[in-house]
Amino acid sequence: MFLKVQMPWNVIIPAENLDAKGLMLQRSIIIRLLDDFAVKKATKDFGYYIAVTKLERIGEGKVRQHTGDVLFPVEFSGITFKIFRGEILEGVVHKVLKHGVFLRCGPVENIYLSCLKMPDYRYVPGENPYFWNDKMSKIGKDVVVRFIVIGTKWLEAEREFQALVSLEGDYLGPVSPPDII
Amino acid sequence: MSGEEEENAAELKIGDEFLKAKCLMNCEVSLILEHKYEQLQQMSEDPMNQVSQVFEKSLQYVKRFSRYKNPDAVRQVREILSRYQLAEFELCVLGNLCPETVEEAIAMVPSIKTKGRAHDDEAIEKMLNDLSMIKKFE
Repeated sequence: MFLKVQMPWNVIIPAENLDAKGLMLQRSIIIRLLDDFAVKKATKDFGYYIAVTKLERIGEGKVRQHTGDVLFPVEFSGITFKIFRGEILEGVVHKVLKHGVFLRCGPVENIYLSCLKMPDYRYVPGENPYFWNDKMSKIGKDVVVRFIVIGTKWLEAEREFQALVSLEGDYLGPVSPPDII
Repeated sequence: MSGEEEENAAELKIGDEFLKAKCLMNCEVSLILEHKYEQLQQMSEDPMNQVSQVFEKSLQYVKRFSRYKNPDAVRQVREILSRYQLAEFELCVLGNLCPETVEEAIAMVPSIKTKGRAHDDEAIEKMLNDLSMIKKFE
């Protein structure tokens, strides 16, 4: 789910970038904030950091001893994406393995649907392997699938989420193309 | 979040901070990100180089998974769904997945049928009809 959040942040402006003209300073703060935001990538609490939408407030700068850099506490609004257990989402298959498939959903790449969680589907090997069931519905590369999230995991080192998903439930499975415009 | 094993979006247990947070539908995110991307295009010749991978992947995703494209339609979807006493999270799941039947809507958002909430099948049906009208006139 995409979330609209308000976050506090500390922006540090190096002494050499400080400018007496107020507008230039504001510009440096914004550029710095956008950079920091993109580098952060994701956090366990808020999920993936997608975009800053509005700078709400720039607090009073505090000079840091020794370096002379100035730290500005700011507050801004932004968009994040977090995946919740129990949530129903749609994603696109990007890798097919013998024991399941990997899907992509928003910024999350590691969404695993195990063959144990789609019991009526069988693996069909070949150059372009896929899964399919008796009702002729097919799960292969680039197919859109609606699934339920059964578990999520935050990987601190990679700053990334993993999710386990399932097709066990009503109205889950591959989505026919005309449904998506 | 009180304990991770308790999180369950199907029962609307997603932690207080997220229940209160504003959720956004894919179509709303698409409008915001596309606008941002256009701004970047005006400032730089190679805008894709200016955005993070997270931004790029999200933009691709919401472009593909937006049920409504027209800004007026997007606004109306939120307005109509807001009349039905839904949590932010529920509202966005419905706007994203656009269920066609009452049964499908309840399967997508099981929490709308729990604990004495005022959603009988008739109200849900009316909500889905309103939504499909927007789609038709978009």
